[in-house]
Amino acid sequence: MDLLAHLEAYVAVAEEGSFSRAADLLYVAQPVLSRRIKNLERHLGGELFDRSRRQVTSTDLGVLLLPHAKDVLSRVDHLRQVARAALASAAHALGVPPDCDPAALARVIRAGAERGVTIGVRELPAEDRASGLADGSLVFALLRVAPETATHRVPLGLASAAPLTVGRRSVHLESLRPRRGGGTGTPPTILVTAEDETGFAAERFRKAAARAGLSEGRVRAVATAATAAAETLAGHAVLLCPEPFARRHGLEWSPLADSTLHRGYELAATTRRVGHGVDLVLDWMEPMLAEAIGAVDDPSPKSTGADGGARPDSDSRVEGRG
Amino acid sequence: MRQRRPECLASTPDLLPVAEAIAEQWHEVGALGHLLARNIDTGEELGFDVDTAVPLASVAKVPLALVVLDEIAEGALDPAMPVTLDPATKSVGPTGVAAFRHPATVAVVDLVHQALTVSDNASADALFDLVGVEVVDQRLRAWGCEGIRIRHRMQRMYDCAAGVSNNDFGLALELAIRDDIAGHHSIETLNPAYANVGSASALVALLQRVWLDRISRPEATADLRRMMGLQVFNQRLSSDLRADTVRVSGKTGSFLYLRHEIGVVTADSGDRVAIAALTRSHRRASIAHDIDLAIGAAARAAFESLRR
Repeated sequence: MDLLAHLEAYVAVAEEGSFSRAADLLYVAQPVLSRRIKNLERHLGGELFDRSRRQVTSTDLGVLLLPHAKDVLSRVDHLRQVARAALASAAHALGVPPDCDPAALARVIRAGAERGVTIGVRELPAEDRASGLADGSLVFALLRVAPETATHRVPLGLASAAPLTVGRRSVHLESLRPRRGGGTGTPPTILVTAEDETGFAAERFRKAAARAGLSEGRVRAVATAATAAAETLAGHAVLLCPEPFARRHGLEWSPLADSTLHRGYELAATTRRVGHGVDLVLDWMEPMLAEAIGAVDDPSPKSTGADGGARPDSDSRVEGRG
Repeated sequence: MRQRRPECLASTPDLLPVAEAIAEQWHEVGALGHLLARNIDTGEELGFDVDTAVPLASVAKVPLALVVLDEIAEGALDPAMPVTLDPATKSVGPTGVAAFRHPATVAVVDLVHQALTVSDNASADALFDLVGVEVVDQRLRAWGCEGIRIRHRMQRMYDCAAGVSNNDFGLALELAIRDDIAGHHSIETLNPAYANVGSASALVALLQRVWLDRISRPEATADLRRMMGLQVFNQRLSSDLRADTVRVSGKTGSFLYLRHEIGVVTADSGDRVAIAALTRSHRRASIAHDIDLAIGAAARAAFESLRR
């Protein structure tokens, strides 16, 4: 039994004092209305209306229950209103990578509010940003893509307690190999946070490390950026991260020379919601988000390593070396 | 050993401590020497005592090879021409055809390969006999390679050492060390006035021109680069540098107290650094692992600080 429809019928008849007017009010046929009143009376165990007279009047039970029935209906109405209001102002969920610049993200939220768009920023791992966009729980997300094809490129480097390179030179993974006969203790571990420990990016980095002569154990995934920064500050490790993160934690930072190992991002919108002005939002949001992730202007990184560059004298690379 | 602080040079002030640290490390293992490392493309460099003429030992096979490959590129010499090396007359040495016990016939260009990859003295001297020691020296001067002099075949090093020591290596080494301390030379091939000599700066300049095709002909320089990349010895320059992403094309030189190597370090990143590491020491041993490693450490430190 649809209790709400039956309560509606009861309240309408009581207020109109007529089955026919109540039926008109509720847009139902009078027999349907009469049946509802009968069902409700059976449900409650007593008659609500005295039908013996010409004018329909409420019984004592009908008078007693009327305010309660009205109360139930008004609460349901309020519930629906709240739901409607909440839906109207629903936040556009935006998936961003960890450690964005908070001030830049605040500008995104404020700019949205000025345009009547509520932006709900959610810091998520790379896979969750991609799956959230697919299942509709995110409206916008910054997706990881290869830096050489990305719209936004964030240079990655190694943060360390002491400078790794002379001056502003970039760091090469080969330099991190232990020195023969050096005896300077165990070489530092390379810490990789979740943002760089996913998909093709992780695969690329591990391969580059192996080719640079680093053992697999030298590269370690870390759960949180805070502990990674602590280990790095203590001088026991170097941390793969963008420059702003290193500076925020008072760490030295040198860019990785191989720019194919840098981060690449693409701002994408869900395909599930159309007609919400998603494209318009993308236009003003994109440059602000680029700033939040610390993207650099140069959109075309020079490719080193991936295609090998000029290697004119190595025509015998597959030959075994005695 | 004379105690003298080497004169360090560096193209930028931040590179000077690198040169000083290498000089200090060489001093600690008892190696006196000369080092120059230069980024072929940027010209940035660091080193110390770069202009001293030093007896080259087998490093001389690099200019020899370039002159031979130049003759081949010019069409003056047939690379396929067979040359027979007879054990009775060939030069002595521990590797390559020099170590063969029966006559061997090798094509000219393969003699170059043997001389460069395994430092074969017999192949090198067969090439000296083909083109002439004086022609090699004259060609170098025509190319403007001041600072490199070629004056004798490889066999002369052995003859001079054996002559003064009755073919006793230990005695020859002892004598060479005593001569070095006294400042005179009874072994002529250790005397810069009579030996094949080169300075670190002249050798790096030669490597730079070879790698940039600014000497001889491109076919000759390409072949020289290729064959230097095939050297089997990796105990010195490349001892701490080799990786899938980093290659060393070099040529060692070892004779009594001399331990040298010149070469070019190239990386997948495109960085190219030419290095000449020329050392001598008063160690009474033919194998000095720590000196070889100190040369390797120097090459690595220089390469890592000079690459971009």
